[in-house]
Amino acid sequence: MPEVIKEVPPIWTTGWTDILNTGTWRSAVPVHKKRPAPCHKACPVEGEIPVWTQLVKAEKYQEAWLALAANNPFPAVTGRVCHHPCEGSCNRGEYDGAVAINALEHYVGDLALQEGWSLPKPEKEREQRVLVIGAGPAGLSCAYRLRLEGYQVTVFEEKPEAGGVLRYGIPQYRLPKAVLAGEIKRLQELGISIETGRRFESYELEQYEQEYDAVFLAIGAGKAKSLPQFPSDKRVLNGLEFLARANQNDTIALGQQVVVVGGGSVAMDVARTARRLGSYVTVLALEDGEHLPAQTDEVTGALEEGIAITGGAMVQEVQSSERGLGLACVKVNLDPEAPPGVLKPVVVPGSEFSLIADQVILAIGQDPETDVWNHLLPVKQTLFQIKPDFSTDRPGVFAGGDDASAERYVSSAIGQGKMAARSIARYLTGGSGSVDEEIVSLEEPVPFKDINTFYFPSQSRDYKGTTAAEQRVRDFSEVKTGFSSDQALAQAERCFSCGSCIECDNCFYFCPDMAVVKDATLEEHYRILDQYCKGCGSCVEECPRGAVVLKEESR
Amino acid sequence: MGYYNIQEEKVFNSGHAACPGCSEALAIRYIINTLGPDSIGVVPPSCIAIISGPQPLSSMRMPVYQTTLEASAASATGISRALKAKGNDHTNVVVIAGDGGTYDIGFQSLSSAAERNEDFIYVCLDNEGYMNTGAQKSSSTPYLAYTTSTPSGKPTPKKNLAEIMAAHRIPYVATATTGYPEDLARKVARAKELKGTGLRFILVLTPCLDGWGVADHAGPKTSRLAVETGVFPLYEVEYGERYTLNFGSKGTPVQAYLSQQSRYKHLRPEQIQEIQSQVDANWERLRERFSVP
Repeated sequence: MPEVIKEVPPIWTTGWTDILNTGTWRSAVPVHKKRPAPCHKACPVEGEIPVWTQLVKAEKYQEAWLALAANNPFPAVTGRVCHHPCEGSCNRGEYDGAVAINALEHYVGDLALQEGWSLPKPEKEREQRVLVIGAGPAGLSCAYRLRLEGYQVTVFEEKPEAGGVLRYGIPQYRLPKAVLAGEIKRLQELGISIETGRRFESYELEQYEQEYDAVFLAIGAGKAKSLPQFPSDKRVLNGLEFLARANQNDTIALGQQVVVVGGGSVAMDVARTARRLGSYVTVLALEDGEHLPAQTDEVTGALEEGIAITGGAMVQEVQSSERGLGLACVKVNLDPEAPPGVLKPVVVPGSEFSLIADQVILAIGQDPETDVWNHLLPVKQTLFQIKPDFSTDRPGVFAGGDDASAERYVSSAIGQGKMAARSIARYLTGGSGSVDEEIVSLEEPVPFKDINTFYFPSQSRDYKGTTAAEQRVRDFSEVKTGFSSDQALAQAERCFSCGSCIECDNCFYFCPDMAVVKDATLEEHYRILDQYCKGCGSCVEECPRGAVVLKEESR
Repeated sequence: MGYYNIQEEKVFNSGHAACPGCSEALAIRYIINTLGPDSIGVVPPSCIAIISGPQPLSSMRMPVYQTTLEASAASATGISRALKAKGNDHTNVVVIAGDGGTYDIGFQSLSSAAERNEDFIYVCLDNEGYMNTGAQKSSSTPYLAYTTSTPSGKPTPKKNLAEIMAAHRIPYVATATTGYPEDLARKVARAKELKGTGLRFILVLTPCLDGWGVADHAGPKTSRLAVETGVFPLYEVEYGERYTLNFGSKGTPVQAYLSQQSRYKHLRPEQIQEIQSQVDANWERLRERFSVP
């Protein structure tokens, strides 16, 4: 029998493992996905905050401003006066302090004014005409969005200048007139026609409905509320009128002792304006001092300026005399059982006190002047009744801002203007196209636990500068100073960019299976190799910002 | 964090047999993709042998010699000397072994090769136990950690292999871990660069997801906690003298690291405190070695 020699191969390997299909092991697969950031969800104008802060971080300031202005034509204004709910919801707040979003917006907004950047022109012109009543934040925001879509927009404004509450309500020390004028001028350059000094009467509606394809009512809330215990006396002013006069540099003789009644933002504006006109100011509010409806930094600012705030107090009776107005006051507690939105003061027995005032200014809220409209449009509790898409019962007539909402924030009005424009455009195109895709995202925002903080070394937040109180009360110069470019960069750096991929490549580098590949042709920048991904979720965990999620698979 | 220092050549293949999320597979990626295809691997029995197989397929596009558990350093010595005899001064020789094959069974051949200052790279993927055979203890298993052979926790501390290797005064000793891939890749590149000087040793902490009892996605995170608590500082030693710290303790309590792993879930608070004291003492002792500015 011949001897069989079995040959031993020098190399045992005949191929590579990449012919194997380890993807069959998995029960879940990672998906790169843009998710809403909590700041974006909280933003009344749906401001895509992570997008523009990342552009600031990359020092692409003009692009950052364009991204900002895409949702809000007034970044320099809201960078000063927005109540910034974004910062309250910022995930970094749970780590080392929220990102200074409002100050960054201020910085970019001012830079745009300085550099004279203009808004992008409409891509095409449309013949349809829209009339906007009221050149406040809601009206101008709506006008802007429609103009961007190419509609011919005319705005009627009763006052001599455009801006509404921004021009006649908010004092200059919070919002300098030049800033507002700059941002409004940019809108006019875009082709929006603003007719000032043009009061629109309700009886004109039918006629203008014929001339225009749609009408947006944004008349604001210009009627101050009054209190029955105050006599009709020149020593009793309403806050709106007072602020409007101060904003037009009228000389107002107030006397030495001013009492402001109210605890909201308008009351603080009134008190701080009166202080700047040289008076001693006391604020009386129903709410206790800790829970005033005004924003915290407004209250702090007022206290620093030497304004006395007496919370939990009410004026019961007013005695008019040569010496002044004698206010018989009493301490009150608010009934916690009262329905939401209703203040029900309960007098504290034996807590009476009195004040003497040369001037009383009431700042207890304001209503829209809707009573003249109620035969044309449904009005409930002074507000226009609108549907969720801002339309009224009359086809082609829409309403938004303070005349249709009790929210009363500048940014909310801008956001409502934006959303109303979306509906108007849909109405004008017969229900098909729209100003932009409806971004009604039902998805929950990225929670803090999805942020991998290892990648974000602790870095403290910065604040805008504030002029010393004794300096502030001398005139109406702006109180807050914006960031320097170094500050803005350092603060933009702090943004987690929750849910928005910035191509950091962590998902690529942490995959033990080389199953994540970079693909520049894709919007999400990466592709998962189905054949190899074992579904371990390392890419999900190592994504610093929650922009990769694990999706269960069923086979 | 940027990844500018990672230069990968595609040597490690997808489709390998490592568990989902395996830290060793991630480490192997940065070891052999940094060394490049002009390399010869030496692998003793271990998870690495599984990951590099299964025969007749290979996950590594380079020659790999699967040797015996006690002989990795001796095998690498032979290969390295044979290459030299043939006049080849470019091919890297690299051992990739587990902690069982390094701390315990392969220790004498490693120590002798280090004493002779043989010219190859030795990488130990340290997952603190015989994880491939069902999580038995090795001399790398830390104090009080559960393994199947130390059911109430290991009564003795982990052997300090990095210091033992530094005491051999070889040209390069480094510690690394998978939570810092750029640091790992840089150290491999440094070892490659030092070819011709002698033995270069890298100890890589690779959390074993199954053996330690952590989630499939938690390898890198667990590895970083080992560093930030001071349990496993990342540093380099040249010729047993020059110490450089890369990432050390951030003062994070060791509890944060232990509580992530089910191998420590039996610990009582005073035992955690005891581990904390040991970690603090080790960290203090190590700190004295770093050159004073």
